[in-house]
Amino acid sequence: MDTLSALLHLSPETFWMIVKILVVFAGPLTIAALLTWVERRGSAMIQDRIGPNRAAIFGFRLIGLPQIAADGIKAFLKEDLVPAEANKVLFWLAPLLAFIPAVLGMAVIPFGQSFESGGHTYHMSLLDPGNGMGMLFPMAIGAMAVYGVLVAAWSSNNKWSILGGMRASAQMVSDELSMSLAVIAIFMTAGAYDPHDLIQAQYGLWNVVPHFLGFLVFFTCMFAETNRLPFDFAEGESEIVAGFLTEYGSMKFALIYLSEYIHLVVASALIVTLYFGGWRVPFVANPGPWLSVASFLAKTLFFCWVFVWVRWTVPRFRYDQLMKMGWKVLLPLSLINFLFHAFLMFRRG
Amino acid sequence: MFLIFALITLVGALMTFSMRNLVMAGLSLVLCFIGVAGLFLLLANPVAAALQMVVYSGAIVVLVLFVIMLLASHEEEEPKRSRPIQRWGSVAAIIALGPGAVLLVKSSPFLASSQVAPPMEVMTLHRLGGLLFKEHLVAFEIAGLLLLAAMIAAVSLVKREL
Repeated sequence: MDTLSALLHLSPETFWMIVKILVVFAGPLTIAALLTWVERRGSAMIQDRIGPNRAAIFGFRLIGLPQIAADGIKAFLKEDLVPAEANKVLFWLAPLLAFIPAVLGMAVIPFGQSFESGGHTYHMSLLDPGNGMGMLFPMAIGAMAVYGVLVAAWSSNNKWSILGGMRASAQMVSDELSMSLAVIAIFMTAGAYDPHDLIQAQYGLWNVVPHFLGFLVFFTCMFAETNRLPFDFAEGESEIVAGFLTEYGSMKFALIYLSEYIHLVVASALIVTLYFGGWRVPFVANPGPWLSVASFLAKTLFFCWVFVWVRWTVPRFRYDQLMKMGWKVLLPLSLINFLFHAFLMFRRG
Repeated sequence: MFLIFALITLVGALMTFSMRNLVMAGLSLVLCFIGVAGLFLLLANPVAAALQMVVYSGAIVVLVLFVIMLLASHEEEEPKRSRPIQRWGSVAAIIALGPGAVLLVKSSPFLASSQVAPPMEVMTLHRLGGLLFKEHLVAFEIAGLLLLAAMIAAVSLVKREL
């Protein structure tokens, strides 16, 4: 680490900070771009189709991977249409409002084990432990994510868009409650809320075993938070066209589309950190930096795939069914989970 | 840093009441809340900052915007006839009350004591929980009771026949 930073004429701290920023911002972006391809090919695989395989670079098809670049170029070159009656300022602002919270979400999540080199301790998360925000940060940022959808919906001045936006906002607000309760139960049993401490506390036994009910609730809420099928009511081809995205095209659409996939990556990382031991490797006490990063990446990618998998296997809910489930099933379940763990802690003294 | 967040808060607040468009006003309110969250961070209280974002800008304003979008009209109505006396009255009130408020803050004994005090300890969730459930338990429970009463009242107002 010291030699590397000396080569670049930077102090080790600055060098590590730059590396972390690159990893935390470019990592989810890259995975999200790849996920657009995974989603199309994966859906094709599940539905027994071939999927996009025509895009090629110099005649090499590379199992359709150039499709990502082709989509990007297409989005850049398309005409940028703004509806005549739209609120211009907000219409331009909405993709940014969707994108910024999405890329900020990873900032506190540790993507590997802290390591020591040349007398310094390097933490593998953008915000070092002990910042006082801990897991509250992704929740606060996640709460801001709804504005991207809401602003996009309202500024388009389209009835389908507004319907989609209102559905999204109602859904996100009602699911946040059960999600937070599930997370609070983890804070309580771990006695901490910093992700580094939460992963420390999962030594030997991952949270998914004692908190299985909480995991189910959190996992379900993550689908609603990321607006994914079976809960993708902000859109919905058969009911409200493309929902809040109806009027969007070209790069503005691409930005919102991409930020949805970044949300998906962040949601997977959150699930891994809270319930699957973060960077921990089974049966290895100290995996070290490389193995721990690989383990975190593998778990996160697995959950990304689960999101895709569920989308193409589970049928869609109806909107009222979702609201009923959010308030009458998920909320009581997470309350039971919370009270159960509180009771266990009380019994243990 | 203080100036940046204070400016964000002030601009947000000013836009909130000067915007004719209700949705724009609601979004400016979010901007204002984000500025306040930043100010909480500067006061070494990241927990309050996070809760400000989750509760106020995340949930409450979303619900407010939800209701605004349900309404047919998103524009504020023009007044039937302008009342200049209101404008002049408000200017007079600002002139009268503004210096008074500044003087009041300046003369407060807390200000003198906080300048010599060492930097505050960072507020954590542990400390907040300890404060709420040990020192301010009665106030906390009363607040909970009040909220429960408000919730029951809201439900009974909306649902005429249970």
